[in-house]
Amino acid sequence: MSLIDLQGVSRIYDLGHVQVAALQGVDLAVEQGEFLAIVGPSGSGKSTMMNILGCLDRPTAGTYRLAGTPIAELDDDGLARLRSRTIGFVFQSYNLLPRTSALENVATPLLYQGVPRKERHARALAALERLGLGDRVDHIPTELSGGQQQRVAIARALVTEPALLLADEPTGNLDSTSGADVMAVLKELNAAGRTVVMITHDADVAAVAGRQVHVRDGRLVA
Amino acid sequence: MELVRLALSRLGSSRLRAFLTMLGVVIGVASVVSLVAVGQGATSGITKQLQGLGTNLLTVNPGATTTGFTRGAAGSASTLTVADAQTIQALPGVSAVEPETSTSQLVVAGSLNTTTSIIGTTGAYTIVRNFDVWQGATLNGAAVDAHLNEAVVGATTADDLGLTASSIGSTIKIGGLPFRVVGILQAKGSTGPTSQDDQILVPYTVVEDQFVPGQTVRSIGISVATAGQIDTVKAEITTLLESRHAIAPGGTDDFTIADQAQLLTTVGGVSTLLTVLLAGIASISLLVGGIGIMNIMLVSVRERTREIGIRKAIGARGRDILAQFLVEALVLSLLGGMIGIVLGIAVSALIGQLAGWGFVFDPITPVVAVLFSLLVGIVFGVWPARQAARLDPIVALRYE
Repeated sequence: MSLIDLQGVSRIYDLGHVQVAALQGVDLAVEQGEFLAIVGPSGSGKSTMMNILGCLDRPTAGTYRLAGTPIAELDDDGLARLRSRTIGFVFQSYNLLPRTSALENVATPLLYQGVPRKERHARALAALERLGLGDRVDHIPTELSGGQQQRVAIARALVTEPALLLADEPTGNLDSTSGADVMAVLKELNAAGRTVVMITHDADVAAVAGRQVHVRDGRLVA
Repeated sequence: MELVRLALSRLGSSRLRAFLTMLGVVIGVASVVSLVAVGQGATSGITKQLQGLGTNLLTVNPGATTTGFTRGAAGSASTLTVADAQTIQALPGVSAVEPETSTSQLVVAGSLNTTTSIIGTTGAYTIVRNFDVWQGATLNGAAVDAHLNEAVVGATTADDLGLTASSIGSTIKIGGLPFRVVGILQAKGSTGPTSQDDQILVPYTVVEDQFVPGQTVRSIGISVATAGQIDTVKAEITTLLESRHAIAPGGTDDFTIADQAQLLTTVGGVSTLLTVLLAGIASISLLVGGIGIMNIMLVSVRERTREIGIRKAIGARGRDILAQFLVEALVLSLLGGMIGIVLGIAVSALIGQLAGWGFVFDPITPVVAVLFSLLVGIVFGVWPARQAARLDPIVALRYE
């Protein structure tokens, strides 16, 4: 069974007088342990793709099964639970909680899983150490460099041991050195067995992935 | 628990704003607590003073004169007599009776002088009017019967005249006549503009001889044995005086009987009303404080839209966000409420001190105030929190 299974997925935005199809009839399967890059220029529908894959949005047509669960059957709370257990997000702009220490940032997803405080902190610390940030746990985001912030974000994505790591332009805000560094981390995580799906417009970044699919005007092209 | 910790650290990171937000609730709760305490203090102060006038006290005053068709002011008749007082004494349920006549005279003691009211009465005055004798003794029956020039001096008057404990037995001059000081009364505190402590008691027989001729009295004070007998005794006195004054059944009485209990009930009712009114006004400021919290929470939801998006993306459900913002509003209002209680108690203690009725503290007030501020937090926190909980994570994440 595939981890991600999209069949005929469309997402149409109803703007009242006009309907815009951001995705049209997308079929996609991602297997456990894959490193997939979804590549496309801006406006191609890859952000919509990211929202659907991340269970932040629902398709208007077609079916999406994540780890066997058809998400059309879930309500908002069900989607939140599924995100919490199955997906780790890495965003282009890091999206760390402001004025919050690296440790608390990484521990927050566990808060929403109801993990006790002590265990949360122990697991968050382990995740940060794994990303080489053991000496930065008490720093707040503004005290960290971009590359470090993105590492904290990756630690936060990993702390729940999700089946899927979903990265949206993870190197978009980084200089080339930090970017290469983050890509190395993702590659390493994938080598350790984690499924990684990355959305990018950058062909060089995409080349790191094991497989690439291209999005054009809301459709997948080979 | 986690949410309280989260809320506290959040509020700690913007202390000035948190404080200003709380200020509305602080002022609201403080004014409710202090105004209620002040109201209750005033009530108990007034009640205490009224009770100090005498327990189970009935006062008979002369009624109005009627000349032709014109009815004069109450008290304008001079129909009550010492004999009336003596017959009332014989009624069942009456424990003490004292007639009062009065005059105002210049009083001289050594080099000091004052003008004060001279009450012509009997030894029963101190019982009926609930005075304690500080030094010496009250008037005795023998002195009244023998028309002796003896005086019992009120506390304030004694002060004015420089009389002390050692002055018992000394001579003062009242209206030019020498009087022996036999006692000094304990101070009672003032009631209204005229002080009960600024007066001198002398035998009514002496007042009649020297200052105000005639057997009529200003009023008769009666102490009833038990509170339960007040109404019966009142009725008996009415019947007795009507027959003594030859008033036909259905005719207009030439006297009135004032009842202490009635007065207490009336005053108590008025001051309770006042307390409720004060609390009502103070609650308005609490309401305004609550709206302040709502305002800040709404701004906060706006400002933290992105944070809400992040939290939702990493697994927070709508209800987690709702709880987070609600707890924040509750912590704000509860903290404000507690500061307000402390402030309110301090203010009411101060006012009680200044006004002289002491500090009355009702533990119900802070409990009610805390519950009320919690209610304010919930009522004014729910709406912003729901706004936060309903945010679409995609929109919230994209929000700059």
